[in-house]
Formats: sequence, structure tokens, C-alpha cells
Amino acid sequence: MLVDLQGPWNPIFGRLGLLLEVHYNNPIIFFAFMMVVIGGTAALSWVTFTGRWGWLWREWLTTVDHKKLGIMYILVGLVMMLRGFVDALMMRTQQAMAVGPDSPGVLGAAHGYLPPYHFDQVFTAHGMIMILLAATPILVGFMNLIMPIQIGARDMAYPYLNALGLWLTVAAASLVMIALFVGDFSHAGWVGLTPLTELPYSPGVGVDYYLWSIQIGSIGTTIGAVNLIATIIKMRAPGMTWGRLPIFTWTTLASNIIALTSFPVLGVALALLTLDRYIGTHFFTADLGGNLMMYTNLFWIWGHPEVYFVVIPAFGFLSEIIPTFSEKPLFGYVTMVLASMAIAGVSWTVWLHHFFTMGASPGVNSYFSIATMLVGIPTGVKVFNWAFTMWRGKLRFPTPMLWAIGSLFLLITGGMTGMMLAVPAINYLVHNSVFVIAHFHNMFLLIVYAAFGATVYWWPKVFGFKLDEYWGKVFFWLFTAGTLFVFVPMYTLGFMGMTRRLDYIPHTSWEPLLLLEVIGTGFYLLSILAFVIQLGVSIYNREKNRVVASDAWGTSRSVEWMTHTPPPFYNFAVTPVIHARDEWAWRREHGLTNLMPEKFLDIHMPKNTAVPLIISFFTLVCGFALVWRIWWLAAATFAAIIIAMIIRSFDKDTDYIIPAAEVERMEKEIVARAEGRIPAGEPAPVGGGAGGAYASKRTPTQRRDND
Amino acid sequence: MSHANSNPIDHPEVQLASPGAYLVAYAAALGAMFLELWLVVAHVLSPISLTTAITVIALLVITVQMYLLFKLDLSKTQIWFTVSFIMTAPLIFMSIGLTIWMFITLMQRTMLPGM
Ligand code: HEM
Ligand SMILES: [Cu+2]
Repeated sequence: MLVDLQGPWNPIFGRLGLLLEVHYNNPIIFFAFMMVVIGGTAALSWVTFTGRWGWLWREWLTTVDHKKLGIMYILVGLVMMLRGFVDALMMRTQQAMAVGPDSPGVLGAAHGYLPPYHFDQVFTAHGMIMILLAATPILVGFMNLIMPIQIGARDMAYPYLNALGLWLTVAAASLVMIALFVGDFSHAGWVGLTPLTELPYSPGVGVDYYLWSIQIGSIGTTIGAVNLIATIIKMRAPGMTWGRLPIFTWTTLASNIIALTSFPVLGVALALLTLDRYIGTHFFTADLGGNLMMYTNLFWIWGHPEVYFVVIPAFGFLSEIIPTFSEKPLFGYVTMVLASMAIAGVSWTVWLHHFFTMGASPGVNSYFSIATMLVGIPTGVKVFNWAFTMWRGKLRFPTPMLWAIGSLFLLITGGMTGMMLAVPAINYLVHNSVFVIAHFHNMFLLIVYAAFGATVYWWPKVFGFKLDEYWGKVFFWLFTAGTLFVFVPMYTLGFMGMTRRLDYIPHTSWEPLLLLEVIGTGFYLLSILAFVIQLGVSIYNREKNRVVASDAWGTSRSVEWMTHTPPPFYNFAVTPVIHARDEWAWRREHGLTNLMPEKFLDIHMPKNTAVPLIISFFTLVCGFALVWRIWWLAAATFAAIIIAMIIRSFDKDTDYIIPAAEVERMEKEIVARAEGRIPAGEPAPVGGGAGGAYASKRTPTQRRDND
Repeated sequence: MSHANSNPIDHPEVQLASPGAYLVAYAAALGAMFLELWLVVAHVLSPISLTTAITVIALLVITVQMYLLFKLDLSKTQIWFTVSFIMTAPLIFMSIGLTIWMFITLMQRTMLPGM
């Protein structure tokens, strides 16, 4: 071994011997394990008994269709969000139970039910999962799903790379889930506090799980960013000039420029820490020439741009939803674009505000303080633009609009508290208090609100029926109650001096507010139930809520509403020609809403492939092997990854042509179905709502079909 | 994604490949490296001018390589690469520059004099 390891190691099993020391009798882990086993078995038996393995393989696992990949990104994000929410429940209940010296302790904890080591893993996993494996995939999913249709493209620039990005994200998520049961997860906070993450202080495998899962996931995000940027630059339909690009597409561009430039910094920071832990270098140690603040510095050079990476697409959602339900064009298109780019630029200049208390000179702190506050200018421009869009509009308030307006309120409160934190004098008082936690949850909730709004807004486009409004409103108000009950007390506690990451609460006077937060979590729990009911009711009533018009809301404005609902796998029968900003609104005004083209042309489409799935499987095993230092397995799977890439690069049979006649036949069938001439129960070869969204007999895998 | 240019050799950016330019770029990099090595081991410059000299030489080599290896110019096929490279440059200068600034002041404020 290159470094001294505590505990057993052998060449065959690496450090897996450590597992013998883990106590699997912990009821919480046991319960989580049972949930995963039951859930997994249920899903697998459903697939088996309904005979859907072939369907799953053809339509989902090997697909390169940007829409399906987008849906899967969002699903992965939602599942991981649920996992992160369970972590949150545990933190809230632990803090409410472990107040004062007299509070009882169970399950080996002196107070509450989570011993510090376990509690620390919970908050680390919560933060890392929510940001990198929930928020990021959900947003990337929406970009994947909507952006190509919005610019009139048939798919992404690199459909294969797109699938690889998704499956690497899945590999990262799987590695984190494996950490729950096989070994530990990091206990050093989602930011990876140095030197705590160094081997002497974290001798187990937890930090290694953290390092490798982020590393794998961020490779996925980076290649996704390359793909999204290339798509926007190269795949726009004729007439889709930069001045006509829908705002959501603009925000996708801005956000992925941030991702492409900043994720490599994270990769390097984690790689250096990995070298420290694996071969004994001293980049971030406290001695021998290491500089532990350099890790914090590198982390936040990525970290702050990353928070704007997640917020800018949310701004994009708002810019699509608000005009639709105000029945007006977006106010200030050009300023909106400039503001997005300005936010992206400024996001790179402010990172030290996360460690004002490090002790750099007043000059440095002042510079970063002012730079941080500058973000308020473009953000303010955006808020005013949305307000002016609504002003004198014909406002309607279906659920997407409720989420959008809620999001605006959160943007304002979160932005204000951000401004407070940006003042070094204030920051010295509240840094690392729960005030900061409340601030950034406030900001992330803005994103969550916008994303739920986007879900309801685009759902009918994607699945062909609307979501239930009644349960949607119940969901919204319960979620909002949760937000208020958890985060207003949290801001207050921050001012009262409560620091973050406490597994034991020394001041009994904080107890009432902590109990209020537990009530808030209860509201969140109920809201999740309402969401599940909303989905269930909507799917059950899908025939009643069926949308056949291409424009589900009647007042939408951009290109994605110009194709069938749901869009066929080739998106547009013929590539649309764009005449105006807000093309669909323009066509509506000019009476050009007929979807049947005069002439059909051959369509060129990418073929399905299993290679991304295979590569990501090997990546997962490689990550696992690296965590446990099973060198032979890591080397073998790494070689397998390279070989798979080489084989794929010699594969010339990656695309196919749909003849014009075939396109015409499918288009006629879609229209017949929409007009009710084909009964809804008939199996749908193209499109077709929840029963076989986008299903098509025409996306061949390579081995199945050679046209 | 069109059949017309599915042969990678026909791609304009692949067509730009040129053994001559690659060799020159390689020789330049090698030469610069030896020059810098010599500057360091021979102690001919004061520390501050040594740092400056190394930085300047490195920047020169980077520029040469950007042109000769990556063909970053304003032609139709390459302009997006050039633009994105130029737009990344400020980020690199800024992140490294501000980092140096913050750590120098940090050291002045937290380290014992002379350490
Ligand atoms: C755009 C959405 C935003 C998101 C997603 C966000 C997220 C975050 C996160 C994740 C942290 C700290 C995390 C940690 O220490 O673990 C943070 C801290 C901070 N945020 Fe924000 N933020 C946003 C906007 C803003 C704005 C607009 C400002 C100021 C104008 C701001 C100022 C700050 C400051 C100064 C801190 C450091 C507080 C401290 O640790 O002492 N943020 N934010
Ligand atoms: Cu920040």
C-alpha cells in the first residue's frame, strides 16, 4: 500500500474486511435496507409480470432519445430527492429530541437517536445528494427534455453522449446508495471540510465514497454541458436566430457555460484530495507544506458558480411560465438575456464570500463583498421584468403560475438574506450559523418551486394529459406551509446563535423553534403525499384530462408547443422554419396553426445503443473498487471502459433514415388519434400518452434492425 | 449528424491536422522547457525575475501551441473554439489572480514573520 491504512487490506478484497466491523443491527439502516429491497422487488416483479423487460430495454435503457433521457434524469433526481428528504427528516427529529442535558438517548446515542458519527453522515449525504444528485439532474433533465424541441431540433447534437451523461449520473447516485449499506459515507459536510477529510482524521471509506461519486457524477454533468452547448449553437432550426431563441434556451446556455467552466475545478480539487488520501501527497494537509484553505478555495471556485448553475435554469422556467399565464410576451427579452449572461459571469468573481472569516485582508473581503452584491443588479432586472410581464396582463392562476409566483417571493427573501451575508461585518456574526442554512435553502427552494411549476407546465406536452389541479393546489399549499414553518424559525435560530451541524442542542430555549421546524417537516411529508396522490389521480383520469391540441394551455408562446402532444420521437414531421421570437404566438396570430406539412421528407435519426449503459456499469464497479482499494478490479473495469469506448468509436452503424412515406403514415395516424378517429385504447405506435409515452417501433437497436 | 460528413477524415477540423506544425510545436515546447530548467538550475536570475521569466516563456509557448496544435484562428470551422478559449482566459486569470491575492494577504496576517 502507498499509504498507511487503518484496518485490514488484502490484494483480493481490498479493504472490504472493514465490513466485518460494521454493525448491521442498527434498526435505521435495517429499515432503509428493507425499503430499498421491497421497492426494488416490487419494481422488478412489475416489469417481469407485465412482460416489460424487452420494452424497458428498447424504449428506455438503450434509448438515445433526448426526451426519454430527460424524463429519466428527472426521475433519478426525484428518487434521490426522496432519499435526501429522509435524511432531512432524521436531522430535524434528532435536533428536536436532543435538547438539553436531560434529553433521553436511544440506539446508542447519548441524546436523541443518532450518535454524532451517524448524524454527521446524514447531513453530509443530505447536502451532497440534494445539490448534485437531485437538483442538478432534475434541471439537466428539463434542459434535455425541452430545449431541443424549443429550438426545433430532432435530438441533441450528440445523442450517444447524452445517454452516457445520464447513465454516469445514475452510476454516481448508485454509488451513494451503496454507501448507505456497504460501509459508511463521508462525515465531513457536503463541502468536504479539510483537513477532516484527510486520511488520518477520516480513516474509513466514507470520504472515498464521497470523492468518487462526485467525481463520476461531475464527469456526467460536464459532458452533458458540452452536449447542451453544442446543441444550442449548432442545431437550431432555420430562422432560429440568437435574437429569437426562447429564454429557457438562453438560460440553458448560460447555465451550461458555467458548468463547463467550473466543474473541472471541482474535479481537480477532489483529485488532489484523492491523491492526498491514496498516495500520501500533502496538498491540503495541515502540515508538511499543505494548505488546507486551498481546498476550500478551490471548492468554492466551483461551488459558487454551481449555485448559479442551478438557479439560472429556474429563471428560465419562470420566464416561460409567467408570460403564458399573463397572456403577454415576456417584458424585456434583451435585458433578460443580458442579465442571464451577466449572472453567469459575475458568479465566477465572488467565491470568497463563503470564507470571509478565513482572515484575508480587509481589501480582499471588501472586493468580494462588493462583487457579491453586484449580482443583485441583473437579478433585480429579472424580477422587474417578470413583474412588468404580469402588469396589466390577463392573469390566470393554475398551479404552474402559483409555483412561479411562490418562487418569486422566495427569490426576493433569499436574495435579501444573501445580501446581508455578503457584508463581511454581518458575515462574521452569522457565518456557519443556521442563518446561512436558511439562506441557501430559501434559494434552493426557489429552484424547487420553479421546477415543480415547470413539471405541471410541461407535463401535458410530455405525457399528453394535464395534472390534476385540485391535488396540485393542495400540494402547493402544503409545501408552502412546510417552507414557512421550517425556514422562518431557522432564520430566527440563526440570529439567536445556533450553529450548523449540531447533533446535540445545548440551549433549551431553542426548543420551541425546533419543534416548529418539525411541524414544518410534517407539512412537507404531507405535501409529498399530496404530490403522489396528484400523480395517481391524474394518471387514473388521464382520458378525462387528455390534451390533444399541440398547445396545452392555449396561450403558450414558444416552439415546443408547435408539435404534437406528446411529441413523436422525431419531434417535428419537418424541421420548422422560425419567423419570430415567440414563434408559436406569432403563428397563432397569423392563423398558421395547422400541423400537417405540405410535403414530407426523409428523417435522419440516431440508433439506440447499449454502450453508455455498459460503460456506466463498469464505471460504477470501478468507483466501488477504488473506494475499497481493490486495485485489480479498478484496473480491470477501467480497461473495460476504454475498450468499450474504442469499440464504439469504430461502430459506423449509428443512425438510420425514416423514409418520407413512413413519416407521412405516422403523422396521419397521430392526427387521426388526436381527432378521436382511432379509439384511445388502441396500442400507440407513435406518441400516445402515459401508456407508452413516445413509444415507437421505429427506434431500432443496432442488432435488431439494419435499415 | 448528416450522412455527408460521416467520414471523420473529411471533417474540416481533422483536415487541419499538419505534421509539420505539430513537430514545430513540440520542438518549441521542448526548447522552452529546457530553457526554463536551465534558468532554474543555473541561478542566473533573482527569484522575482525568475518567476517572471518562467511565466512569460510559459505564456509564449501556450500561445504558440494554441495556434499550431489546436489551430485556434478565426476561420469558419475554428472560430467557436477560439471564442470559447478567449472567453475562458479571463476566468483563469481571475481565479488564479484573486487566489494569489487572498493567500498573500492571509499569510501576511496569520503567519509569524519570516516563516
Ligand atoms: C442564486 C441562488 C443562490 C443559491 C443556490 C445559494 C446557495 C448558497 C449556498 C449553498 C451557500 C453555503 C453553503 C455552505 O456553507 O454549506 C450559500 C452561502 C452564501 N450565500 Fe448564497 N446562494 C444563492 C444566492 C445568493 C445571493 C444572491 C447572495 C448575495 C447577494 C448570496 C450570498 C451568500 C453568502 C455571502 C454566503 C456565505 C454565508 C456564509 O457561509 O457565511 N447567495 N449560498
Ligand atoms: Cu456563493
